[in-house]
Amino acid sequence: MSTSRLLTQEFEYFAPHTLKEALDLLYKYKDEEVKILAGGTDLLVKMKTLDMKIDYLINLKEIPELKAVETNNQGLKIGATVPLSQLERREIIKEKYPALYEGIKSMAAIAIRNMATLPGNICNASPAGDTIPPLMVYEAQLRIVSKEGERLVPVEDFLRGVGETIIRKEELVSQVIIPAPPSNSGSAFSKKSRVKADIAKINLAIWLEREGKTCKDARIVLGSVFIKALRAKRAEGLLKGEMVSKELLTQVARQAAEEIKPIDDVRSTAEYRTTLARVMVEDTLKLAWERAGGELEG
Amino acid sequence: MSEFKIVGKPIPREDARAKAKGELKYADDFSLPGMLYGKVLHSKYPAAKIISIDTTKAKQLPGVHAVLTARDVPHNETITRFGQSAEVGKGFEGLYRVLADKKVRFRGEAVALVAADTEEIAEEAAALIEVNYEPLPGVFDPVEAMKPGAYLVGEGDSNIICKFGCSQGDIKKGFAEAEVIIEDTYQVPFVDHAYLETEGGVAWIDEKEVINIRVGSQVIEHFRDVAEVLGLPHNQVRYIGTMMGGGFGGKEDITVETYLALLTWKTKKPVRLFYTREESILCHSKRHPFIMHYKVGAKKDGRLVALEAELISDAGAYPYLSPWVNLYATVNAAGPYCIPNVKINTYCVLTNNTFTSANRGFGAPQPNVAYESLMDELAYKLKIDPLEIRRKNCITTGKSLSTTGQVFNTYVALPEVAEKAWKALGETKKVEDKNKRIGRGLAIGLMSYGRMTFLHDTSRCYVRLESDGSVLIRSGIPDLGGGQVSLLCQIAAEELGVPMSKIRIYYSDTALTPLAGTTTATRQTYMSGNATLKAAREIKKRIIQKAAEMMNVNPEKLVIGEEKIIVKYDSAQYLPLLEVIKACNTEGIELFCEAQFKGPFTMVPDLSNIRGTIFPDFTFGAQAVEISVDIETGQVEVLKLVTCYDVGKAINPLSVEGQMEGGSIYGMGYALMEEVVMEKGVTLTPSFSEYIIPTAADVPEVEAILVESGGGLGPYGAKGIGEPSCSIIAPAILNAIYDAVGVRIKSLPATPEKIIRALKKHYFEGR
Ligand SMILES: Cc1cc2nc3c(=O)[nH]c(=O)nc-3n(C[C@H](O)[C@H](O)[C@H](O)COP(=O)(O)OP(=O)(O)OC[C@H]3O[C@@H](n4cnc5c(N)ncnc54)[C@H](O)[C@@H]3O)c2cc1C
Repeated sequence: MSTSRLLTQEFEYFAPHTLKEALDLLYKYKDEEVKILAGGTDLLVKMKTLDMKIDYLINLKEIPELKAVETNNQGLKIGATVPLSQLERREIIKEKYPALYEGIKSMAAIAIRNMATLPGNICNASPAGDTIPPLMVYEAQLRIVSKEGERLVPVEDFLRGVGETIIRKEELVSQVIIPAPPSNSGSAFSKKSRVKADIAKINLAIWLEREGKTCKDARIVLGSVFIKALRAKRAEGLLKGEMVSKELLTQVARQAAEEIKPIDDVRSTAEYRTTLARVMVEDTLKLAWERAGGELEG
Repeated sequence: MSEFKIVGKPIPREDARAKAKGELKYADDFSLPGMLYGKVLHSKYPAAKIISIDTTKAKQLPGVHAVLTARDVPHNETITRFGQSAEVGKGFEGLYRVLADKKVRFRGEAVALVAADTEEIAEEAAALIEVNYEPLPGVFDPVEAMKPGAYLVGEGDSNIICKFGCSQGDIKKGFAEAEVIIEDTYQVPFVDHAYLETEGGVAWIDEKEVINIRVGSQVIEHFRDVAEVLGLPHNQVRYIGTMMGGGFGGKEDITVETYLALLTWKTKKPVRLFYTREESILCHSKRHPFIMHYKVGAKKDGRLVALEAELISDAGAYPYLSPWVNLYATVNAAGPYCIPNVKINTYCVLTNNTFTSANRGFGAPQPNVAYESLMDELAYKLKIDPLEIRRKNCITTGKSLSTTGQVFNTYVALPEVAEKAWKALGETKKVEDKNKRIGRGLAIGLMSYGRMTFLHDTSRCYVRLESDGSVLIRSGIPDLGGGQVSLLCQIAAEELGVPMSKIRIYYSDTALTPLAGTTTATRQTYMSGNATLKAAREIKKRIIQKAAEMMNVNPEKLVIGEEKIIVKYDSAQYLPLLEVIKACNTEGIELFCEAQFKGPFTMVPDLSNIRGTIFPDFTFGAQAVEISVDIETGQVEVLKLVTCYDVGKAINPLSVEGQMEGGSIYGMGYALMEEVVMEKGVTLTPSFSEYIIPTAADVPEVEAILVESGGGLGPYGAKGIGEPSCSIIAPAILNAIYDAVGVRIKSLPATPEKIIRALKKHYFEGR
């Protein structure tokens, strides 16, 4: 029987103080069972309850260079170990990236957010991860570094499936880079769960760029409806370059609900998720459009 | 009654300070040098034959001190009891099996025990025990399990554990007279107690060879049952009960105590054993699911003329307290209504699901869901206001319970609480969102407090007035967190005229404190409150007598308060308490007393037609809610919740409100989200990420209205509130959903998924 009380296995624990040290360790143990520890709010639960073999655990939280948040007019660069609760307190996130702000706020309770990180949420690659749809609609990129170099990968391309990403064992995510959204854009996040602090039945983020009464560009991402966060591309297509009206948003929402591939699980049913997706997409579209400065007629 | 100084005041509880400071030592906050760690190996199948168990490898693992199977248990099979001392006969006593033997009946059943130097080794050793199972088909649906030829869960020739009934009038005639008849089936699921503190404790053997078990238990009288399993004299097992992080009935049966006792007895070392959350959910008792088929008949003016009900409950794999729970359900089945013609049949059935037993409400909340939904349906059908239909039919003072015929001679507050709860909803809240529909629901109910009278319940308490005017209490009372211990302090402080700070209490120790009986059945305020009152009053009488002599006045003229013995109407004339104590001590007058309180005693009833007095008394209540339902998402939000009960007398209003608020949220979880999902005996909700309960952020505005009629059997006219407080809210919420969107959810929990499905059906079929 699984036990949430015990960390039964033995492993070697490292808390390097520089990024270089961390990368050297990862390189050294790349062919062994090595894991990165950030907030530990996913990893520790898994270590206790699943049969997960770990020989080396590398804690990133002691590395000063991963704790920084840089802002300029190009956008935002968030260090890998910045706790979510710090992000939710930053004005810039609340103002410029409301979908991310709302996504973070919807997560767990404050105790968890004091520990949890963005890369932890992404690398954990749960289909229900609440920061993933917002990061995807903002076209966020991950700076992935290793002893041998670095690469920038969009969050969208980073994820492959349930718990699966493209990261290699000698690599780590050092930064989350979010470009500055254009001024005529608006975004919003929405989530439905069983109780207030809970994993989503569905979550979603929408970003719209406005040009007068027309929607110039759109990104719609839904979570917990497929093996990974899903972009409703045909729904986006219905919006792009079109005059925005209530009827159109209703149509887009219907389309989005058709694109998802939900399942029945302990949290909800596929049938309900489809109903929910339509309602939530429609409401969130309206909100994002308003935030982009748009008005709705008809 | 004269003015109270301490009773009835919203004062901080005796245990508040230590809890707030984190100083209180719960069961888990305790260890002993050289202590071993216990672990239970649980069955991986819900139904299987045990072909063999090989413990060789586990025993060889360094650091392992004992590996025990059924063969090592001196008396592996005894009888489930819950602290009763009266003989009640075969109808109620089920098999209590410590470790699975030959056959496993549910997934999670204890198969073997391990004690080792560390928890890690114990865990590893448990995994090394080789159990060779032959899976059996099992049966998981109580209705299937009732059928002839069904798979047999136990060793008997039927899965039906008990069949109870009661009736009055002539049911055929009743329905013939009815002008409207409604018939429906309601279902309620397995739910977990979800206490913060899981089951666990530490055991050791002292220099007198007594097995001491320090554990969170609602029934410390189980020391006798543990002694019987080990084949030891009762006085060789001692329970030291701790303050609990919640009980809710889940610590009413033996939890881990027998395992602890066995392991410490075999190893002669202290042993500690705690269930993980997963073990707590998978392996320990759940609330009974019920399938309830109801038929009710009424006149056009709403007057009830007949009610027939068949209730089937799932006992899971072992009986535990199932017969008792079903007795409660039977007695409660017709609700708080006057109905001339009634017929109830209740069946309780074994299945290969996790066993069910006591859970706050003990068989009262389930039928309440059914009959209060039906009353609402009737009100809509006859176009009568929900309050009016209840007022018209509810029991009032002098009337009797329609199931057993038990007559209520004290104040029956039903009309009053119903009106107050309904009125307190106030103005309808306005919502902006056009998809949100507002609805209101009302439900009333009753639940007994105090044990069934044929159990011949008693409680004891010892009170001593010290020579410096401080007070010492000893009571076996277990405290679940409800303030049971503090309540006794308040009573003693009031009676002896000393402040709360001068009271010290020792509780829940079977060797050193007088046995107070179980903290179950909402009985402690009533039973141990009265025992404490009796003891304290005896001492007070002696003090007053002495003071009267000293002051040369009539004892009737004296009162006690603020550590003085004062002449009534002339507070300038008094003696300090200390002086009177000194005088008593000089003369050898006893300033201590151990008193026993006895509840009313009756005979065991005829179980096929349960009539007469079964319970000492009942608590009456009403709950009303205003909710919003989103017609597009099915999401229910409780906007306002009112809970109104006649509590007799609120000895500590803060504790009473705490129970009423907590009970409401407990019931709200039942109504809207809680369900232990079992698929063919396999629990799909083994932790709090699948088993969802309301969080602090989900709690709506709750208004608790206390009616204090003084009509209860407890001290100062108090009634019990712990369990009644959670037993009525679920149907109030279901009724509000119906009011809001016109669909009736007949199986709990009323999840958004169910509501949306019902709304779609409603829309397409046009109803
Ligand atoms: C009670 C509770 C409630 C929760 N509620 C929610 C919720 O509502 N919504 C939600 O989305 N999640 C929720 N979670 C999950 C979790 O908190 C989040 O996914 C969180 O963001 C994980 O971050 P972390 O820093 O704790 O990750 P960790 O647990 O430290 O790591 C998670 C995974 O990511 C890897 N990793 C971490 N950092 C890096 C890095 N820089 N580079 C490469 N790999 C890395 C780790 O090796 C591990 O595999 C909840 C968890 C708990 C315990």
